[in-house]
Amino acid sequence: MAYKTVKKEAPGRGEVDILAETYEAGEPIGEEVGRWRHKLQSRDDKLKYLMSGERYWYSDDWFGSEKRKNPA
Amino acid sequence: MPEEKQDKSIDQATQELIEKAEKEGINTAFDRADSLKPCPIGAAGSCCKHCGMGPCRVPLPKGKEETPEEKQKRRGVCGATAETIAARNFIRMVAGGASAHSDHGRGVAELFLAVARGKAPGYEIKDEQKLLQVALDWGIEIGDRSNNEIAVDIGEKALAEFGKQEGELITLRKAPLKRQELWKQQGVAPRGIDREIVEIMHRTHIGVDQDYVNLLKQGVRASIADGWGGSMIATELQDILFGTPAPILGKANLGVLKEKEVNIIIHGHEPLLSEMIVAAASEPEMLELAKSKGAEGINLSGMCCTANEILMRHGVPIAGNFLQQELAIVTGAVDAMVVDVQCIMQSIQTVAECYHTKIITTAAKAKIPGATHIEFDEHDAIKSAREIVKTAIENFPNRKGNILIPSQQCDQIAGFSHETINYLLGGMFRASYRPLNDNIINGRIRGVAGVVGCNNARVKHNEAHITMVKELIKNDVLVITTGCNAIACAEAGLLVPEAAAKYAGAGLAEVCETVGIPPVLHMGSCVDNSRILIAATAMVKDGGLGDDISDLPVAGAAPEWMSEKAISIGQYFVASGVYTVFGVTWPTEGSKEVTEFLFKDMEKLYGGKWDFQPDPVRAAQLMIAHIDSKRKALGIDQARERVLYDMEMRRELEG
Ligand code: SF4
Ligand code: SF4
Repeated sequence: MAYKTVKKEAPGRGEVDILAETYEAGEPIGEEVGRWRHKLQSRDDKLKYLMSGERYWYSDDWFGSEKRKNPA
Repeated sequence: MPEEKQDKSIDQATQELIEKAEKEGINTAFDRADSLKPCPIGAAGSCCKHCGMGPCRVPLPKGKEETPEEKQKRRGVCGATAETIAARNFIRMVAGGASAHSDHGRGVAELFLAVARGKAPGYEIKDEQKLLQVALDWGIEIGDRSNNEIAVDIGEKALAEFGKQEGELITLRKAPLKRQELWKQQGVAPRGIDREIVEIMHRTHIGVDQDYVNLLKQGVRASIADGWGGSMIATELQDILFGTPAPILGKANLGVLKEKEVNIIIHGHEPLLSEMIVAAASEPEMLELAKSKGAEGINLSGMCCTANEILMRHGVPIAGNFLQQELAIVTGAVDAMVVDVQCIMQSIQTVAECYHTKIITTAAKAKIPGATHIEFDEHDAIKSAREIVKTAIENFPNRKGNILIPSQQCDQIAGFSHETINYLLGGMFRASYRPLNDNIINGRIRGVAGVVGCNNARVKHNEAHITMVKELIKNDVLVITTGCNAIACAEAGLLVPEAAAKYAGAGLAEVCETVGIPPVLHMGSCVDNSRILIAATAMVKDGGLGDDISDLPVAGAAPEWMSEKAISIGQYFVASGVYTVFGVTWPTEGSKEVTEFLFKDMEKLYGGKWDFQPDPVRAAQLMIAHIDSKRKALGIDQARERVLYDMEMRRELEG
């Protein structure tokens, strides 16, 4: 990843490049920007995401209230 | 500005246009609400016209307690008691609402199947992940099959849910396990969507079900068939076809109209055609045509729930909510208002006749005399869409002058589907509701409220919505919103992250700032209330807040409700275990027993109950009190501070 930099005055060193913000801009402007789902490309990745991200429904690997030792 | 206009709406754009309408002699819903008083007997649910011996009116005696003998006599010609009549009226409202949402769902399922079979050019499956998700939910084989093959199975299964006669809806499986069990025990798990609605119509016919408890039970069953059935199917399939909403910036209020461009407002509920209009309006030929007519461009905006759908997926601005539809035309700058189904006032055609606006109806099941009808043909949708956009462009030169577009418009961020909330809170590698649950447990967030529903011309436009939502967020209650409430919140500037610092309590503001979300999350249109059900289920499943939705510190409200759909939504919130408060008016007030059953006894059966409170601040306080009682039951009523152990404390502990 190419990092964004900004120029700042450093005491005794003149103008230097320093690291700018590394987060994505917070305002989702435009149709595409907020579309996090496009980050997942292959069907495998999508299924994997469902098993982890939506594990409440699609995986046994979680410890919510419905998966206690003494289930509700 | 005269006092009177300010009494009608809290929104300045609306006030300005009410004044313009008045000057120009245009009759609007605001005027009609003044001149046409609601019938108090009908409003209380005490009038029956289910047969030709009626209408029978059985109002409660005014200002005195009735004797048992008087009560005995308070019946319709057929002998139906005030209880039967109130309960019948109430569940017929549920049937009306559930059928509206579900018929929308059926329409989506039909288009979905046509797309899967390659018979609806222009549409495609945009969200494979959601397709896979629904396939997993419904036990449809994935393997190496193509998306279209999977989609054919999904489409067929979805359509079959409407006419299913036995068993249970497949979509109920999404609910918390305990809730599914409870519905089974209570005998309210819906068999098929249409069946439960038809059964209401049957049972409320003269001389059928005459036990209000039994009638209300069927209302519960049909409402579940709406929220966890028809509406849920609509939402899921729309997500697959058009994309699952993700955060997007948009604008709201009548100021989004543009004087120098062709203004097309898409109004109604189903996103099927509007998706195509969005595509057609951006075609270069259309732009050329617009320029040839002297316009600088084409400006699309939405109204009511269609607005929410196209905002969430394309960032198309929202022109307004239910009570602003006539006023949009009063600007004199709307070249076409394209409508499909639900919440479309017939009077828009009359108002349009005073200006140049073309009202274009598009649904075979919803026509308006005098309007131009361009029927939406799913097999050639882009053709219908182009014809509509062209009609609007060609109408641009017919503007009559005297244009007034109010300047008000607000930024908003929409698109908080369940999937997106889950992702935002946990990230790609461990998407989760954990941070929400943790912040509820530690008390930064007190609870969650779903505030939804319509505008109602009997009360000041948007006032109850905004007052209630502000009161809730001030008290650290995170608000999730849909429908016309969402639009009201957008117009009041509540749907941006900055609103947290301005209006939210310290705890909620801190969480919003950390995650970067507004204190009020826009989850979509009315059918998207099913997203609220899924979000609540995810909270349950993540753990720490009980085993069922009825354990969660949550509440629901529709402070300005008016449509039958709102009653169906409220009923399925209640049937899902949510305490739900409505404002404006209560449709069973004519029967103490029925009202008592809805407000008290339902809680024993379903863990959720109805309430009525027209004062939005008091209603919010009722919701907060309920949230607090749930916190207490969970043992999280005292926020426990984490103790930071310093070295000395540690040594003490070891010693
Ligand atoms: S069904 Fe009974 S209460 Fe209703 S209108 Fe007929 S006679 Fe009157
Ligand atoms: S919230 Fe009510 S008024 Fe608004 S679009 Fe939905 S049903 Fe219609």
